[in-house]
Amino acid sequence: MAISLTPCAAVFLLLLRLLTSHALSSSDSVVSDLSALQSQSSTGVIHLTDPLLHRILALPTPRPFHFLIFFDAKQLHSKPELSLPTLKNEFSLVSSTFQSNKPNQKSLFFFEIEFGESQASFAQFGIKSLPHIRLVPPSAADLKADTIQMEASDFSRLAESMAEFIESRTKLSVGPINRPGVVSKKQIFFAVAVVLIWIPFFLKKLIAGNTFLHDKNIWMAGAIFVYFFSVSGAMFNIIRKMPMFMMDRQDPGKLVFFYQGSGMQLGAEGFSVGFLYTIVGLLLAFVTHAMVRLRNRTVQRVLMIFVLFTSFWAVKKVVFLDNWKTGYGIHGYWPSSWR
Amino acid sequence: MAAPETPPTSNLRYAFGNVLSIFILLLIGVLAFSIRLFSVIKYESVIHEFDPYFNYRVTQYLTKTGVYDFWNWFDDRTWYPLGRVIGGTVYPGLTLTAGSLWKILNSLNIPLSVETVCVFTAPIFSAFASWAAYLLTKEVKGVGAGLTAAALLAMVPSYISRSVAGSYDNEAVAIFALIFTFYLYVKTLNTGSLFYATINAMAYFYMVCSWGGYTFIINLIPMHVLLCIVTGRYSSRLYIAYAPLVVLGTLLASLVPVVGFNAVMTSEHFASFLVFIVIHVVALVYYIKGILTPQMFKVAVTIVVSVGLIICVAVLAVLIALVASSPTKGWSGRSLSLLDPTYASKYIPIIASVSEHQPPTWPSYFMDINVLAFLVPAGIIACFSPLSDASSFAVLYIVTSVYFSGVMVRLMLVLAPAACIISGIALSEAFDVLTRSIKYQFHDKTENPQLSAGDTSNNSKTDEVKMEKSEDSLKERSSRKNKKKAKDTEKASVISRIEQRLLVLPFEVSLIAIFLLVLLGAFYVVHSVWAAAEAYSAPSIVLTSHSHDGLHVFDDFREAYGWLRHNTEVDDKVASWWDYGYQTTAMANRTVIVDNNTWNNTHIATVGTAMSSPEKAAWEIFNSLDVKYVLVVFGGLVGYPSDDINKFLWMVRIGGGVFPHIKEPDYLRDGQYRIDSQATPTMLNCLMYKLSYHRFVETDGKGYDRVRHTEIGKKYFKLTHFEEVFTTHHWMVRIYKLKPPRNRIRGKTKKSKTKVSSKRSGAKKNPWH
Repeated sequence: MAISLTPCAAVFLLLLRLLTSHALSSSDSVVSDLSALQSQSSTGVIHLTDPLLHRILALPTPRPFHFLIFFDAKQLHSKPELSLPTLKNEFSLVSSTFQSNKPNQKSLFFFEIEFGESQASFAQFGIKSLPHIRLVPPSAADLKADTIQMEASDFSRLAESMAEFIESRTKLSVGPINRPGVVSKKQIFFAVAVVLIWIPFFLKKLIAGNTFLHDKNIWMAGAIFVYFFSVSGAMFNIIRKMPMFMMDRQDPGKLVFFYQGSGMQLGAEGFSVGFLYTIVGLLLAFVTHAMVRLRNRTVQRVLMIFVLFTSFWAVKKVVFLDNWKTGYGIHGYWPSSWR
Repeated sequence: MAAPETPPTSNLRYAFGNVLSIFILLLIGVLAFSIRLFSVIKYESVIHEFDPYFNYRVTQYLTKTGVYDFWNWFDDRTWYPLGRVIGGTVYPGLTLTAGSLWKILNSLNIPLSVETVCVFTAPIFSAFASWAAYLLTKEVKGVGAGLTAAALLAMVPSYISRSVAGSYDNEAVAIFALIFTFYLYVKTLNTGSLFYATINAMAYFYMVCSWGGYTFIINLIPMHVLLCIVTGRYSSRLYIAYAPLVVLGTLLASLVPVVGFNAVMTSEHFASFLVFIVIHVVALVYYIKGILTPQMFKVAVTIVVSVGLIICVAVLAVLIALVASSPTKGWSGRSLSLLDPTYASKYIPIIASVSEHQPPTWPSYFMDINVLAFLVPAGIIACFSPLSDASSFAVLYIVTSVYFSGVMVRLMLVLAPAACIISGIALSEAFDVLTRSIKYQFHDKTENPQLSAGDTSNNSKTDEVKMEKSEDSLKERSSRKNKKKAKDTEKASVISRIEQRLLVLPFEVSLIAIFLLVLLGAFYVVHSVWAAAEAYSAPSIVLTSHSHDGLHVFDDFREAYGWLRHNTEVDDKVASWWDYGYQTTAMANRTVIVDNNTWNNTHIATVGTAMSSPEKAAWEIFNSLDVKYVLVVFGGLVGYPSDDINKFLWMVRIGGGVFPHIKEPDYLRDGQYRIDSQATPTMLNCLMYKLSYHRFVETDGKGYDRVRHTEIGKKYFKLTHFEEVFTTHHWMVRIYKLKPPRNRIRGKTKKSKTKVSSKRSGAKKNPWH
C-alpha cells in the first residue's frame, strides 16, 4: 500500500507544487507585465482590454495588488455635462502622482478601459452609466458585488478627492497631488531667461525715456477702465459668479436684465450702469478739454447740445434706476411754509 | 500769474481772494460739522452702537488716570476671568485725541463732560478733513479745485456714515489723518522741503496710531514713487518726499504697541522697503549721470545697471526669505483678499461672512458717493492734462481706492475722499471753462466800451486764461524756484502769441451747462442731507419707530444698563452674548464674560454653549464663571428683529465648534429654524428660549412673537435655576439672576426626587422637568 501509494502521493504533490508554482509564476508574470505596460504609459495608466482583464481575473484571490479602472467612452467625450475628458485627466494625474511618489510600488495599478473595444468587460462589471470609476480590491471575486464604485462625491473635487478615496479604501497613500503648472518648467525657464535678457534693454530705454510707460494716454485709458470696472460692480459679479442676465421666473421666455433689490445685481445691469457713470464724466472732460479747441461755433453748439442731452439723460436714468432698485425715497427738507 | 502787469489792483484782488477763500473754508467747516448733527437733533447727544462705547470707556479711563496708566492698562472688567491688555491692543490715536481735546477744554475752563467731547470728536475732525482735502487738492490743481473738493468732502455720504455725532470710532479721525498725510507728501513733492517731509512722517505716525488702514498709505506712496521712477519723473524732490517718510515713519510706527515689530516684519510693509532700495539705486544713477560725460555715462550705465540688478536680486531673495519666515507667513487674509478678490470667499469664510467685507453693487456707489460717480472720469482726465507729480498721485489714489472699494464695501470710506478730490478738480475745471465762456462773450455781446475799474483786471485775466491754456505742456506745479524761472520765459512766449484765440464755448449752451451742473450739485446736496438725516443717524442704542399714532421711542437698552448699574454689586459678573459686552462695561460698569473684541473664540463658545444648553447645564457653566446675572435681548414684543433669538443659531454654531455636544441639527426642525409648536424639544428647553419667552404669554394671552410672526411653542413654564429680576418697558432687555444653589436644594430635593429618577431614565436632556 505504502509503496503503491507513494508514487501517487508524489505525483499529487508534484502536481500541487506545479500548480502553485504556476500560479505564483503567473501572478509574478502578470505583475511584471503590468509594470512594463505601466512604464510604457507616460502617466502610468494602463490601457485595459478584454484579454488583459481576463488574465488578471484569472489570478487566484487574493491578488497581490489593488486596481482602479476608469471606464471611458470616446463617443461621450463631446458631452460637456459628463466631463469625461476632465475626469480622465484627473485620473491620470492621480496615477502619475502615485508613480512619482511611490516608484516601483506594485500594489496599485491604474487602468482605463474603452467602451468601444471592450464591451464585454463593461458588461462584466455591469456598468450602465458614465462617468464611472471602480476600485477592485485584491480579494474581489465577483466583479459586481465585491468591487467598490467611486461615488460622484469622491471625484467632485477632482484628483484630490480621488486620492482621498484611494487612501481610505486601500490604505495606500497617494501623497500630495503634484499638478503640472499651466506652463511647464522649460517654458518658465525660457520666460525667465527672456525677461532677464530683456530687462537691461528695457532699463536702457527707460532711462532714455521712451517706452509705452511714458505715454500718458495709456495710463489715462487704464485709469478710466479700472474706474469703469469697479463702479460697475464687476468685482461683485466675479466673486459671486453672477450671470449677465437670467430667466424670468413667471415668464420663462423673458430675460431679466435688472434685478430689484440692492443686495444683488446682474452682470449686464452692472456694466450698463457703470457705462452711464463713466460716460457723463468722459463727456464733461470732452467739453472742457477738447471742445473748447474747436474753431467752428456751429459744430461746438451741436456737439454741446448732444453732450448736454446725453449727460442729462444718463444721470436721470441712473437716478431712476437707483430709486427703483433700492426703494429709497430721497427727498429734500424744505421749510414747511413752502408747501 | 499775471500779477506783474498791474501790481496794485492785482494784489488787492489776491488779498480779497484769499480772504474769501478763508471765509469759504470756514463755512465749509461749519457745514461739515453741522450736517453731522442730525443724530443729536433727532435723537440726543449719545454715543452710538457698540465699538464707540468701548472707545468711550477707554477715553474715560485715560482722562481719569492719565496716559501712563492707560498705556499699561490691564482691564479686568471684561473677558472675565481672563481680562484684556487694553494699552497694547488698541490703536490709541482716537482716544488720545479726544482725551487731549477734553483736557485742553477743561484747562480753558470749559467744563464739558468726556461723553460730550467724544460725541463731537467725529464732526470736528470731519471739518479738519475737509480742510485737509482743500490743502491736498490745492497742491494738485489750485485753489478753485481745492475749495470745490473741500465742499464735496464736507458732505459726502460715505464719510458721513462713519462720522456722525456720536459715532466715536477710529475712522472718525483716521480719514483726516489719511488726507493730511497725503497732503504733506504732495506738498513735500512740490516743494522738496525737508521740513514738510518731517511733518509728513509725523502725520503718518498719527495715522498709524489711529487706524489699521495706515497700510494703505505705506503701500500707496511707494507705488507712486515707483510710478514716478518708471515714467521718468525721478527728481530730488521725490527722494526727499519718500526716503525720510520710510525711515522716520517706520521708526515711529513701531513705537505704537499694537503695531510694534509688525512695521518691519509683515509683508504689508515690504513694498515700501523695496521701493526705498530702488529709489537709492535710481538716485545713484542720476548722480552718476550728473558727474559724467554722456559717453562715460553710457559705459557707467551698463556697470551700474548690472550691479544694481544684482543688488536688487539679492535683496529680493532676502525679502522672500523674510516673508517665508515671518510669523504671519506673508500677508494677512484681509490684505490678500484685496489683491485677489476671490481669495476670501474661497479660503476664509469668517472674513467673507462679515457684511462690511462684501463686494458692493452699483447702487452702493450711488448711495455713498452719489453724483461724484459721474464726475470722477472727467477729473481723471483733467489730472492728465497736464500731468504733474501731484496730479499723478491723485490719479493713483483714485484708481487704487476705487479698485479696493470694488472688493470690499467697507473701503468705500477710503474711496470717498479720493472721489471728492477728483470730482472737485473736474467740477472746478468745468466751471472754469464755462464761466470763462460766459464772462468773455458777455463783454463781447454787450460791447460796452466804457467799463469800470474792473476792466484792466478783466483784460489781464483773459491774458492769464489764454496763457494758462496755451501752455498746457508746462508742468504746472514744480518747485517754487523752477516756477519763478518758468514764469519769466513763459511771459515772453505769451506776449509773442498775444493774438492767440481765446478757448471758449458758445454763450447760450454754456449757460445751460452751468445750470445743469448747478442742478447736479443741488441734487448732491439734497441726497447728502437726506442720507445724513435718514440713513446714517440712528444711534442703535435708542430706537424710534413711526406709526399711525405718532413717534415711539424705545430706550430699553439704557434702562437695562441703568438698572444694572444701580441695583447690582460693583463686582457682579454679567453674561450676555458678545454684542452687548462693550455696552455693558461702558454703561453699566459691570464685568462681562465676552465682548465685541472677539479675540478668544473658546470663551465666546462657552457662553454660546451655556445659552444653548438646558437650564441646569447652563447654570453650571455660568456659575463656574462666577456669573451673577444673565442679560438677553428680546424683540418679540415690539418687533425688534436683531434680538438674541435671531442670533441664536450663531451661538449654537460657535458653541458647537468648540463643544461638540451642541449640535446645530438638534435645534432645527427639518433644517428650519423655528420657535413655534413645531420646534424641537432641545430648542424649547434651551436657556435662550426660556429666558426670552419666560412669562411672555402674560402679555397678550397667546404669546405671539412679532419678529418671527408666529405663536411660540412652549408658553407656560417655570424657571428652576434662574429668576427674573428685571424686564424693561418694552421687554427688549430681560435680566435674570442665577439662583443660589443652597436654596434650590432644600426646597426641591424631596419633592422632585421621584420625578427626577423617573424622568432620568427616559429623557436625559433636562432632569428638572
